[in-house]
Amino acid sequence: MREARTAKRGPWPKHAPSSSPPLSVAARAASLLRSRPGQPPWGVIGTLLTPALFVYAGFTAYPVGRTFYNSVHLIKPGGVEQFVGLQNYAQLLSSDLTFWRAVVNTMIWAGVAPLLDVGCGLALALCLYAGVPFARFFRVAWFTPVLISYVVVGILWMWIYNYDWGVVNALLRAVGLGVLARSWLGNTSTALAALILTHLWKWAGFNMVVCLAALHALPSEVMEAAELDNCGWVRKTIFMILPMIRGTLIGLLILSFVGKMKVFDLVWVMTEGGPLWATETVSTYVYKRAFGWQTFDLGYPSALATVWFLVVLAFVLGLHGLLRQREPLEY
Amino acid sequence: MLLCVLGGYTAFSAGPFLWVAIMSLRTTSEISASHYGLPSPAHWQQYVTAWTVSNYRTYFWNSCAVVVAAVALTTVIGAMAAHALARYRFRGNRAILFLIFSTIIFPAQITLLALFQILVKYELFNTLTGLTLVYVATQLPLTIYILEAFFARTPQDLFDAAKIDGSSELASFWRLTLPIGRPAIATAVIVNFILLWNEFLYAVVLITDEDKRTLPLGVQKFMGDRMQDIGMIATGVMIAVLPVIVLYALFSKQLIQGMTAGAVK
Repeated sequence: MREARTAKRGPWPKHAPSSSPPLSVAARAASLLRSRPGQPPWGVIGTLLTPALFVYAGFTAYPVGRTFYNSVHLIKPGGVEQFVGLQNYAQLLSSDLTFWRAVVNTMIWAGVAPLLDVGCGLALALCLYAGVPFARFFRVAWFTPVLISYVVVGILWMWIYNYDWGVVNALLRAVGLGVLARSWLGNTSTALAALILTHLWKWAGFNMVVCLAALHALPSEVMEAAELDNCGWVRKTIFMILPMIRGTLIGLLILSFVGKMKVFDLVWVMTEGGPLWATETVSTYVYKRAFGWQTFDLGYPSALATVWFLVVLAFVLGLHGLLRQREPLEY
Repeated sequence: MLLCVLGGYTAFSAGPFLWVAIMSLRTTSEISASHYGLPSPAHWQQYVTAWTVSNYRTYFWNSCAVVVAAVALTTVIGAMAAHALARYRFRGNRAILFLIFSTIIFPAQITLLALFQILVKYELFNTLTGLTLVYVATQLPLTIYILEAFFARTPQDLFDAAKIDGSSELASFWRLTLPIGRPAIATAVIVNFILLWNEFLYAVVLITDEDKRTLPLGVQKFMGDRMQDIGMIATGVMIAVLPVIVLYALFSKQLIQGMTAGAVK
C-alpha cells in the first residue's frame, strides 16, 4: 500500500511496479487506470496500425508520389525513363486543346450537377418529411439507383436514349412531338446534358436520404412553434428548414462537386467521351492518353492527373473555406 | 396531385429496372419486334445461356472471389486500425485519421497509372490478387472512418474493467471492440461489398484477360462486342444487379446508413 500512497503524491513513476505482490486489488486497479492517460502502449498501437499504414503507404502514398515523379519524365515501356522537366506541364497548359475541352466539359458538369443533385434530393426529402403516404416505399425505391453499378446504369440509359426505340423518343412520338426525337447521345449538343441527367438519376436518391436524415434531426419544438404561428410550408422551408440544415446541404454540394470532377465510369460506358469530344472529361482523357492512344507514355497522362488532383484539392479547400458556416445556428 | 408527381418520379427511378428485368426474360428477336412487350412466354433459359455459354459464370465467380477477399481484408485491417485510433490517445492520432480519410476526395487517376506500373513490376498486373489488393486500399479510408466513429462511442469504462480483470490490450480488441462494434462492422462490410461489386475503373485498367474479368467489366465488354444482342445483355445486367438487390432487400437500413456515413457528420 505504501507504493500506492507515494504514487498519489508524486508523478507516477515511469515503470509502474504493477507486478509487486503486496498491491491489493484496489490499488492495482487504481494503478492500471492511472496509467491510461500517461504512456500509451506503443507496442499494441503499432501492431494494430501497421497493416493499415502499410496498405496506405504502398497503395496510396507511394503511387501518389510516383505519379508526381512520372509527371516530369517520359515513361516508356521496358523501364525507359527520361527526365523532361516541366515540358509535360507546358504542353498540356499551352497546346493541348483536347485537354481544355475536357476541362470545360468537366467544369460544366461540376458546376450544374451539384445544384441539380442536391435540389432534387432536397425536394424529394421534403415531400417525405411532409408525410406523404407510402413514404417508406418511396424512400427505398428512390434510393435503389445509388446501388447500381455505372456499367448497368450506362447500358440502361443508352437504351433509354436510343434513337429508334428508346423510351425518350417513344414518349415524344407518342405525344406527337416526334420532330424533337433525336439520337440523344450521338448529338454533340445534347450528349453532355443526357449524361448529366443520367448521373442525376443515379444520385438524387442519395441526396434525398441524407437530407431526410438531417430533417428528422431537427428539433420538433421549433417546427411545432412555427405551425402554431400559422407558418406555411413554403415559408417554413425557406426561413427555418434551409438555414437549419445548411451544413448538411453544403456537405452534399461539395461531395457532389468532387464526384463530378472525377466522373469516369458513366462516360466511358455510354459515350467514351464522344461524339467529337462533346462528353470528354478529364478522367476519360487521362485514361485515353495512358492506355488508349498507343502513345506508350505514362509521363504525360501523369502530368494531367497531377494538375487535376491539385485543381480538385484547391476547389475543395476553397469551397470548404468559403461556404463554412461562420456562426453555427444554435437550436 | 403531389402523389402523382411522386408516382411519376418513382416510375422515372424504378421504371428502367422493370424494363430491363422484363427484357432479360425475352429473346433478342422478340425484343426487336416490340421493345416494350411483356415476356410471354418467359424465357428463363436466357439465364442458363448467359451463365454457361456467355461466360457470365466466370465473371460472377471472379467478382465473388475478388470482392469477398477484399472485403474480408479491409474489414480486419480497418477494424484493427480503427480500434487503435479510437481507443488510445497518442501523438499523431488525429493526423493519421485525417491523412487516411482525406484520400477519399482524391481522383483515382492520381494513383491509377502508378498502380498500373507497380502491379506490372511485381507481376500482379492482370491478376485477381493485384486487383484485390488495390480494392483493399481504395475501401480502407471509408471503413476506418465508419468504424472509428462507432468504436469511439463505446464507453471507456468497459475497457478499464476488462483491464482490471487482467485482460490484455489485444484481447480487449477481440472480446470487446469486435462484438460490440458488430452493427458498424456489418454496415462497413455491406457497403464495401456493394461498392466493390460495382467497381469498374480499376478493373478496366488492371485486368485484360477475358477469363479474369469481373462482372461490370464482363458486362461492358459483352455490350461492346455484341451491341445488338439486347436480350442477352439484359440478362447479364440482371445477373450483375440481382446480388445487389438481394442485399438491399435484406439490409436496406445498414446500406443507407453506410452509404451516407461520409456525408452526415
